[in-house]
Amino acid sequence: MAVISTQGVEKIYNPGKIPVKALKGVSLEIAEGEFTAIVGPSGSGKTTLLNIIGGLDRPTAGYVEVGGVDISGLSDNQLIDFRKDHIGFVFQAYNLIPVLTARENVAFVMLLQHRSAQERNARAESLLAAVGLSDKMDKRPAELSGGQQQRVAVARALASKPSFILADEPTANLDSASTANLLDIMYRLNQEEHITFVFSTHDQRVIDRAKRVVTLVDGKIDRDEVRG
Amino acid sequence: MMIWIMAWRNIWRSPTRSGVVIAAIALGVWAALALTGFATGMMKSYVKSAIEQSVSHIQIHEPGFTEDYEAKYTLPDVAIVAQVLDTTVEVQAYSLRTVVSGMAASGQGARGVMVKGVDPEQEAAVSTIPEGALTAGEFLPEMRGNAAFMGSALAQKLGLKERSKFVLTFQDEHLEITSAAFRVMGLFDSGNTPYDEATLYVRRSDLNRLLQGGPEGAGQAHEAAVLLKDVGAADQVAGQLRAVLPNLDVQTYREIAPDLELYESQLQNVSLIYLAVILLALVFGIINTMLMAVLERVRELGMLMAIGMNRGRVFAMIVLETLALGLLAAPAGLVLGYLTVSYVGKYGIDMSGYSEGMASYGLAQVIYFEVPLAAYWQMGAGVFVTAVLASLYPAWKAIRLQPVEALRAV
Ligand SMILES: Nc1ncnc2c1ncn2[C@@H]1O[C@H](COP(=O)(O)OP(=O)(O)OP(=O)(O)O)[C@@H](O)[C@H]1O
Ligand SMILES: [Mg+2]
Repeated sequence: MAVISTQGVEKIYNPGKIPVKALKGVSLEIAEGEFTAIVGPSGSGKTTLLNIIGGLDRPTAGYVEVGGVDISGLSDNQLIDFRKDHIGFVFQAYNLIPVLTARENVAFVMLLQHRSAQERNARAESLLAAVGLSDKMDKRPAELSGGQQQRVAVARALASKPSFILADEPTANLDSASTANLLDIMYRLNQEEHITFVFSTHDQRVIDRAKRVVTLVDGKIDRDEVRG
Repeated sequence: MMIWIMAWRNIWRSPTRSGVVIAAIALGVWAALALTGFATGMMKSYVKSAIEQSVSHIQIHEPGFTEDYEAKYTLPDVAIVAQVLDTTVEVQAYSLRTVVSGMAASGQGARGVMVKGVDPEQEAAVSTIPEGALTAGEFLPEMRGNAAFMGSALAQKLGLKERSKFVLTFQDEHLEITSAAFRVMGLFDSGNTPYDEATLYVRRSDLNRLLQGGPEGAGQAHEAAVLLKDVGAADQVAGQLRAVLPNLDVQTYREIAPDLELYESQLQNVSLIYLAVILLALVFGIINTMLMAVLERVRELGMLMAIGMNRGRVFAMIVLETLALGLLAAPAGLVLGYLTVSYVGKYGIDMSGYSEGMASYGLAQVIYFEVPLAAYWQMGAGVFVTAVLASLYPAWKAIRLQPVEALRAV
């Protein structure tokens, strides 16, 4: 079953003045348990597509369904709640709340979901353990390396039990060792917990780990290959 | 709870900036308290010295006297008034006075004066002037001639010294002009220059003799000034006295000197006015600080909204941050203010450097700060309300951010 389904999605920035056609009709289905990379040259529309799938931005035309819900029909406030409960985000940077510890960052989303303190603590600890940060739980982001911060971000994204995780260039700021480490963790979560990952990247080593690679060129899907 | 923790930690991200705002609010509260303490202390001391020196708590007159102060409006039966006052338990002391206006003349000039004829012992029991304000000589000693107790300001104007003689002229009860020689036996300085320049004490027996032109009115008086054991009972005792002395005019100090009443009632408003002015100035500083705090966290706020923190919570977080600043500052300012007010309330602040100016308004030279208890919580509440109001605009700015744009912001 498709967790994400887009149909003829178009996005025009600056309609009126100097319009930029960032997406020119993208139709894409992503099924549960996929480990999909969105790739393509700079400016090809990767971020735009992920933002639209993630309910952070609205398409100019076309149709987006997430977990069977037509999200174009939701108001801004409904979208915030929808994102909270259904989508896990990992951004390139500025993922974490600087004044909270790793544990508090992970617990924060569950707090927004009104989970009990006991559940928040237990889940935060097990998620941080899963990303290999048991010993850094009470550190604040500033005390963590870039790679560690991104691993906390993955744990945070998983905390709300989302339908899938969207990651826009999660490794762009990381060195190759941290990149490999983060990818190992994402891959393992995908294999063992069947977490669906959709991520964009420029990095060939990351592309090589993907099970499906969707290539965007100039706002259109140029290639869509599934690997064995 | 978590939102409180975040708000609390967020304000310490820029310790200097937050510290400056906290210090400014605390200082503002402190200043409002100190100003209130000063104004209240000054007014209270004015009211207190007016009561202690001349007005007393209650005065009793023949009704006509209060209207035109003519010598003929004496109390119809002084003995009954005295008896009533002697048997009223709330009365601490009273003084019977014969009061006329007249003219004091020396070789150097003449001045209009209010002449108060008093029994020295009675007067000393209701007023602080006979003893507390004495600067030279004695208060109306027993002697063969007419003794006078004169404000040193008046003595100076008339070029008189202790033991100098002068002539007092006034209208007697038969509307005839009477003059008599008096000798300055003592001088006083009440701290209230206008009073000192226009008031003269003589013995009631001397004044009565001159007024009457005969012995029959030796015991007469125009007013009874009454000092109570407790000023708070003034209205109640006045009511009692009105009931037993129905034909006389019984007035409390508020009725005698309406300015005292005005001062007393204004005390409540003084602190609020100071507070309002200071808080108004602080509002802009707080708005500015919080606006900076929001603008430098645009990406973080975008991220929070992206991961599902709704606008209500973001709004609440900014309001709480602002409130946290106020909650740190207000107690500091209140404690600082309380200490200042307590200290100056106990030891007083010496205004004698300005005392000439102060005295000419009838104000005391040493001011003891005093702040009504209500002012403390009013200021606490004022800071609370100010912080909330000042946070609204920055919080509104924060929730207007669109997550995608905020995340892209540099
Ligand atoms: N807010 C915006 N306003 C106007 N144009 C925009 C905006 N965001 C993106 N664009 C344009 O839309 C196009 C697609 O941008 P997008 O960021 O989706 O590309 P991308 O594939 O993520 O690029 P990169 O690899 O550099 O991150 C680009 O031409 C970009 O300049
Ligand atoms: Mg991009």
